[in-house]
Order: sequence, then structure tokens, then C-alpha cells
Amino acid sequence: MNTATLRLSLRSLRAHKRRLAGTLLSILLGVSFLTGTMVLGDTLRANFDTLFADANAGTDVVVRSADVLDSQGTAGGVRAPVETALADRLRTIPGVAAAEPSVQGAGQLLGSDGKPIGGQGPPTLAGNWLTDGRLNPYRLAEGRAPAAPGEVVVNRGAARTGGLHVGSTTVLRTPDPVPVTVVGIATFGASADGMGPSTFTAMTFADAERYLTPKGAGQAGSIQVRAVGGVSQRELADRIAPRLPGGVQAITGAAATQESTQLLSGRFLTMFTTLLLVFAGIALLVATFTIHNTFAIVVAQRSRENALLRALGAVRGQVLGATLAEALAVGLLASLGGLLGGIGVATGLKALFSALGFALPTGGTVISAAAVLLPLLVGTLVAVGSALQPAVRAGRTAPLAALRETGVDRAGQGRSGTVRVALGALLLAGGAPVAVLGATDGPSVVLTATGALAVLAGTVVLGPVAAALAVRTLGAPLPRLRGVSGVLARRNAARNPRRTAATASALMIGVAVVTLFTVFGASIRATLDDTVSKSFAGDLAVTTASFGAGGSGISPKVADALAGLPEVRQTVGLGRGVARIDGHGRTLDVTDPARLPGIVDLGRVDGSLDALGTDGLAVSRSEAQQHGWRLGQTVTVGFTDGASGPFTIRALYEGGGLAGDYVVTRQAWAPHRGQDADTMVAVGLRDGVSAAAGKAAVEKALVPFGSPQVQDRAQYAKSAASGVDMMLSVVYALLALAVLIALLGIANTLTLAVHERTRELGLLRAVGQTRAQLRAMVRWESVLVAAFGTVGGLGLGAFLGWALVRASDSAGTGSFAIPPGQLAVVLAAGLLAGAVAGLRPAGRAARLDVLRAIATD
Amino acid sequence: MTTLDVVRGTAARVADAVKVHGVGGTEVRALDHVTVDFPAGRFTAIMGPSGSGKSTLMHCAAGLDTLTAGSAWIGDTELGPLSDRKLTLLRRERIGFVFQAFNLVPTLTVRENITLPLDLAGAAPDRAWLEALIDVVGLGDRLGHRPSELSGGQQQRVAVARALAGRPQVVFADEPTGNLDSQSGGEVLGLLRRSVDEMGQAVVMVTHDPTAAGWADEALFLADGRLVDRMERPSAGLVLDRMKAFERGRS
Repeated sequence: MNTATLRLSLRSLRAHKRRLAGTLLSILLGVSFLTGTMVLGDTLRANFDTLFADANAGTDVVVRSADVLDSQGTAGGVRAPVETALADRLRTIPGVAAAEPSVQGAGQLLGSDGKPIGGQGPPTLAGNWLTDGRLNPYRLAEGRAPAAPGEVVVNRGAARTGGLHVGSTTVLRTPDPVPVTVVGIATFGASADGMGPSTFTAMTFADAERYLTPKGAGQAGSIQVRAVGGVSQRELADRIAPRLPGGVQAITGAAATQESTQLLSGRFLTMFTTLLLVFAGIALLVATFTIHNTFAIVVAQRSRENALLRALGAVRGQVLGATLAEALAVGLLASLGGLLGGIGVATGLKALFSALGFALPTGGTVISAAAVLLPLLVGTLVAVGSALQPAVRAGRTAPLAALRETGVDRAGQGRSGTVRVALGALLLAGGAPVAVLGATDGPSVVLTATGALAVLAGTVVLGPVAAALAVRTLGAPLPRLRGVSGVLARRNAARNPRRTAATASALMIGVAVVTLFTVFGASIRATLDDTVSKSFAGDLAVTTASFGAGGSGISPKVADALAGLPEVRQTVGLGRGVARIDGHGRTLDVTDPARLPGIVDLGRVDGSLDALGTDGLAVSRSEAQQHGWRLGQTVTVGFTDGASGPFTIRALYEGGGLAGDYVVTRQAWAPHRGQDADTMVAVGLRDGVSAAAGKAAVEKALVPFGSPQVQDRAQYAKSAASGVDMMLSVVYALLALAVLIALLGIANTLTLAVHERTRELGLLRAVGQTRAQLRAMVRWESVLVAAFGTVGGLGLGAFLGWALVRASDSAGTGSFAIPPGQLAVVLAAGLLAGAVAGLRPAGRAARLDVLRAIATD
Repeated sequence: MTTLDVVRGTAARVADAVKVHGVGGTEVRALDHVTVDFPAGRFTAIMGPSGSGKSTLMHCAAGLDTLTAGSAWIGDTELGPLSDRKLTLLRRERIGFVFQAFNLVPTLTVRENITLPLDLAGAAPDRAWLEALIDVVGLGDRLGHRPSELSGGQQQRVAVARALAGRPQVVFADEPTGNLDSQSGGEVLGLLRRSVDEMGQAVVMVTHDPTAAGWADEALFLADGRLVDRMERPSAGLVLDRMKAFERGRS
């Protein structure tokens, strides 16, 4: 390209600023999202990094058990404890200034209103108050350190949330309720309210041992060591290492910090940012449609100008280059704006997540080079890539077209019709069966996803073929509703099927993803309902309202305490533990199998649950099948305390219920347990006791246990699904941007259409169309395009939702549900959004100067 | 004067009309104190060279543009005080339009284009009248076609039918034959002539073509925004001579 074409494209850019405003905005939004996601990821990583560095600031060496037992659902795995006596021996090593055992476990405080503090995501921790001021990352802001049994120091953030002051008395759930008196309020480091959003309750070492360790004394999670001046962390760790018993290691404070950070970025942060990146990707995909459409229209409108250039001697490459240069400039400009917006988005996303209940640590914003360069590159590439096909078409403009008056609305139609139909049909005919096959036979998520992508692509390709018919069908009631303006709206929407389809496709993709998640969520909810109704035969469930690393579970004594009530027939507690089974970390359900029948139904059982004993194991049938285990077979179970032994599989049961894949007895678990807690206690009431009366009695009996919540069957089923609703609301919020970009696309296309129909609109006004009728005409066209996209998206999303629900259900126990109410809301929202998108183009059309519009030249 | 007389007598009228485009240094006086009546049942041609103000006169008389000073009337309704909405309603009920090009909405069929102003008003067309009109226009077999399937002459005939469909008080035609060959042009002009003779329609046509003016009952000559001459029963030859005389006078 030479300077002439460059000048041309820049001039045309300036002349058509308004036409490209929509394009600019959609790239800007997409890039903002992408940048925001990356900046948020970097910022969180750095924030967590600082947090852990601060926590270990005064610790030079950490002595702990070398063996870590990892399983899905345990963040960072579980380590065996170390002997507290080891601390005394460490103190004799030259170079050790201080060595203190550290006990940490789950401990949830109740606020002054009796409600638990925190528990929604971030950890609620309890531990011993480290007496060495440098080892302890917390500083007393008020009051004093705990000295007597029952005295605690609480971090300032937790105290503020719970309305606790020095002198307050409350309860700490460990999960056994411990009555405590607040004697001090602490800051994390010099001034922070806490270690991020986590809560921390510090007690005396004796109390911590008693309430947080299974043996009650002599064991700690780790020993924190501080070096004397002049001895490096590495040096000290090397000195300590040879003096340690087997299975115990010494790592430097720096290494401990790095490990914590990596653990978090490796799991939580990676998942978190990947999720956000997927949605940023969807937003950008939707944006490509808008951009492509805008450039296609602009090129069509400019065909006479391009033809003139060709006639004057511009070669194809120059015309093509001029269009691409324009796209490049728009992409670059929008991406730069998006970078700035992204920093705002990062802040907004963080606020969004905390508003929805995911508390994230605070701290300064971190912007890495990658977070700047990648979005810049992606935004520019998206713009240029989307404009490629229109640019090629611009280059192909015949010089003769300059002399012809071509109807721009019709430009670029036909020609590739047969190819399009064939390709679209092929994609659909190939994709749909693959998706169905993946959903029903196998099932295989990969197969279904491949089929789903083909179906999506096929739908987009076939869009223009379907557009005219679809818009005419959807708009059938319009003439009756709006008279001739309705007729015109309907015909205008069907006028250029390719353009209508491209505009609607963007919305279709957005709505399809919304529908997919809605259907998926409804199906999960139905599955949970089903699980509860199938496997929960009790009347009441005692649970804690918490998720993530928060909360402290339910005291294992609750089941027995409730069993003694006159209203209660039977209770059983379900606890969780991790163990290594044949070398793989697995989650176990710890319970009293003999108490299960009648309240927790494990379905058809082969063998006997009563006979598990201390060396027996019950396994779900699907898990056993996967490993090729049979009844009577022996597997090796390794526990967190290092003990390991053969366990015999004595029962097989149906999976997919309340219990996971492995069940052991409390007796088998007891010798190896850590801080013990039940996740749920199921209660069966005696005949004749009403649910309300039973609930009242149970609630009363639970007061000494810190009042965990009591739910009847329906409430329990509902709360089991509440996590689904929260996930859905996050997903909807993230998809809102993609939908917004799609609507921008509709508004943009309509604005361009209004521009090129100036003459026609002027004529309509001249022969008597009122401004209101004209506005209604444009608005209804917008609604029709939106309706096409929304209805298509609903259908596509429902199908893909069905396929993915089936495909991801390997056990075949899940349900599929289509929530008609929610989908009706999506439809209504789509139509309404279409009307809103049409407002501005309609306004512009109505402001049209009739005289100028009908002027002959 | 009774209302009936007004309707009978004058279809449209401008009095002491002044129209100024632009301001200050770029000020152009497009109409300079023009007073003219367009009688009912007559075919009036407005002639003049480019920039003479003939299109402006038509636009102002038809309520498409507003006067700087003076008044414009359709029948006994003064246009000046009317809101945009009232003007729009007046246009679709009492005025018919034929433009030089782009007269038809491409998405509507021939029949739909003809009934467009009536449909916009939500009024039921007079069937017998419509059939008669279609018959006169001679497009009975093309009613379901789209404008793009018609020739230029056919399109203009549809435009004339549309202008007449609502039996307006006056039809304004702006260079209706400007884009047509002489034979198609003759057909369109003949149609307008018949509407005056057989239906008693008032027609006002802006043109710079002496042949077209030859179809009118009267020709008005505009130059530099002023009404400079008028000719009863003009013929193409006489009009051409008069135009040439103006050209000479100007140079």
C-alpha cells in the first residue's frame, strides 16, 4: 500500500466516524473485558502473593510433615501433624532464635447477633496465638493476647462484621461449640483488617490443641522457626533438616510462601481466570459479527467510490488495502481504548464478585506486559480479520460499477447461495448426530462439544438462508398490529437476509450460551432435587450454610445428641475425609452405616453395610466398575497420619446420592482423623411428629452447638441447589457484555440501513408517514431481527444444553430439565432489548429532513 | 366567498411568499414575494431555469418546506401554523406527490405502493375508484410486482396512480418526466392530463421541459425567485420561444 491509499482510508475513516462508532465500541468492550480479566488475574495473583509473603514475613523456616495427601475438593491437600515436642529440640539448634508450634484448623465465630461470621468462600480459621511477635503475622490493635482458657483474639475484619468488641462473649464452632471471650482485636501486619477476607480466631496454645487437634495435645500442624540475625533461611533449613525425624521436612519461609501462592494460582486462580477468559472470548466472537457486518455494509455503500478508484487505475490490492487499513486503524484505536476500559473492568469484576458473595483479597492493581500486549493484539486482529472478507469484496469491485446505480441494500447477495446451503447443511447434518451420539452413547463430552461446534457453525452459515423465511414468519402478526408500517418493518427485516442473519447471529450466539447455561443450571437443580428425593429419606437435615474453604462443619456429637430427643426416631451424621486408595487421593464419607437405613438411602446394596467394621469399605457401583473391583476384593487405604493398611470391599451401592463414592465407618476413621466434622446430619422423626414440631425440638437441641441450620426436605433440596443459582447469576452477568455487543450490532446495522434508505424514508414521510409511524417501523424491524436471533439462540441453546447435560452425565443418574419460565424471560428480554436497540436508529430516521431526502441529487 | 367556492376555486395558493436559504454572506433569496393561485380542475406548469426557485415554490406550496415570510394554503387551510404531525396528515389526505425519481417503496408491491398513503392513514380505499384508476394507468397485470420489475415509465405511472388514489385536493409533480424517454414521458403526462379533464383534479407540475409544459392549461415562468410571466394554453413551441427570450434578456 502506498501513501495515496493510506490517505484515502484515513480520510474515509474520518468521514464515516459515526458509521464506525458501533464497530469501535464493540471492539472496545470486548478488549476491555479481555484486559480486565487479565489484569484481574494478575492483580489477584499479586495480592495473594503479598498476602502469603506477609503471613510468612517473620518466619524463616517451616517444619512440617513431608507427606501430603491430595484429593479433589481439598485445597492444597492434607498433611499429617508433627509432634509439638519437636519445637523444644529445635530451639537447641544454634541459629534458632524462636520455634513455636502452630496449630491451625477451621473455626467459625458467631457474631453478636448469633449468626456465623464469614463462611462464603474464604477460609474461617482458628489457631494458636503465636507468642513470638515476629513469627506471628498478626499484631494486637486492642486488648491483649489470650492467656487463659476460653480467651481469644479476633482479627479486626471479623470483629467488625460480627459486631464483637474486647470483652464480648460468643461461640467458636470448631465445630464443637466453644464459649469464648474476646480479649483482643488484631490486625494482619501493621494495618490490614485480616489476611485478605479470611477470618482468624487465635486462642492459647492449650486451647488450640484441645479443640483443633484430634488427640487434644502434643500435636501441631507445623513448627514455625525464626533465625537469629545473620543466619539465612537456607542456612537454617539446612541445619535443621538432619535433626528431624523421618517424614518431617524443613522448608524456608520463602519456599512456603511460594508454595501457597502456586497452589492458589494453580487451582483457584487458573480456574477463575479461565472462566473469565472464556466469556471474554464469547464477547469477542460476538463482536466479530458486528464488525464484519459493519464493514460489509460500508463497503457496499462505498462500491461506487471504490469503482471510481478502480476506474482511475487503483489495483485490487490498493482498494483492499485501503479497507484493511481502515479496519486496522479502528481496531488499534478501539483496543487502546479497551485497555483503559479494562482496568476499570477489572475493578468492576472484583466488585461484582464480592457483591455476589465471592470475597477476594484487596490490594493495588497490577498490570503486566502480557495484559497489555495480548488484548491489543487480539483486538486488532479481530478487527482486521473480520474486515478481511468485505475488503476482498471491495477489491473485486468492477470499475464499471461506478457507472451503475446499484441498490446498496441488495449488494452482495446471491452468488454463493448454493455453496452456503451445502456447507451449512453438511455442518448441521454432520454435527447434530455427532452431538446426539456423544450425548446418548458413551457419553463423551469431547464428541458432543465437537458436534455442538459444528452445529453452531452450521447454524451461522445457514442463517442467511433461514433469515427471510424466519423474519417473515415471526413478523406475521405485525401487519395486523401496526398496519402498513408493520408490513414495511417486516419486509425491511427480510430485505437483505445475509445482513439480517449476520446481525441476528451475534445475538443468537449470546442467547444460545445464556440458554445453554440456563438449561444446564436447571438440569443440575433437577438432578440435585432428584438426588435428595431419591436418597434422602429423612425428615430434617442439619447443615451449615457455607461453601468453599469457609465454615467449620457440624460437630460429630450432634447426631447422637439429636438421637436422644423424644421426637426423633433416628439420626445419622455424614462426615468427610481424604485417604489414598490404591495410591490415589480420594474423598471418603465417614458415617455409621448401621444408622443409614430409613433416612439415607444408598439404593440397591450388594453385600452388607453393617459388616464394614474397621477394615471394610463400601464403594459405589460405578466407581468399582471403573477400577474393576469386585465384592470381597482388598484395596490399600493410606491415611493422612501415614498409617496404611488393607481394606476389604464389603458392600457396593448405587452412586449419585448423598454419599460419595466411598463409605467407611467412624470406627475405621477415628484413629486417623484430623479435626473432625460432619457435613450433614440427617434426622428421621418419629411417626406422628409433625415436621414443624420436630424442627422446633431439633433447633432447640442445637443451640449449644452454635445453632447450625435445620431444614426440612424441601428446604434442603432447595439450598443444595442454591450454589447453582449463584453460579448462574455470575454467568449471566458475564454474558451480559456479549449480549450488549450483539445489541450494539443490531443498532449499528439499523443505523447504516437507515442511512442508505434515506430516499425511501423521505418518500414515506412525503406521502404521509408520520414520525411516530416511521419510528415504529424502524423499531419493529429491530425487534424482528432480535426475535430471529433470540428464537434461534433459544432453540440452539436448548439443544446444545440437552446434549451437554447428557454427555457430562457419565453415571447416567442426572436429570434434564428445560425451565419454561426462565426461557420465557430470556425471550421477552431479547425482544425488549431489540426494541431498545432500535430506539436510536428510529430516532435518527424520524429526525430526517424530508426535503433533503427527496432531493434529486 | 363560501368554503365551497374556495374548494372549487383554489386548490392551493401562496401569497407574498419569501424563502431565504442560508444566512449572511451566503444568503440566497429563492422566492422573492411570489403570489400565485393554483385553481381547481386545472393543470398548471411551473417553468424556469435551474435556480429560478420553481422547486422551492412547489415544496413550500406542498408543505414540504416552510416559508420565510408570506403564507401558503391548501384549500382554506393555512400551512404556516401547522405542526409537523398536522402537516404530515394533511399531506397524506389532501396532497398527491409525483417525484422525478425514487417514487416507489422498493419493498412494497405495485398495489401496495398505490394505496400507501391510504394505508398509512388507516383509511379503506374506495374500491371502484381504485379499479378505475388502475384501469386508466394500465398496469392491471402488474399489481403484484415489485417496482424493480417495472420500467421507468411504468414506475412513474404507478406514482401517478398513487398520487390520485386518495382523490387529493391537489397533485404536485416535480419533474415527473425528467428521467424518462419521450414516449414514456408522454404516457405519464397524458395520464396527468386525463386526471384533470376526466376527474377534475388540480395538478401542479414543476418542469424545465417545454414539451411537458405543452400538456398544461397554463404555464408560469419563474426567474430569480420572481414570477416573471404566465401563458394560457401553452404549446411546446411557444414556451420554448418564451424561454429563449428570457435567456437573451438575462445575458
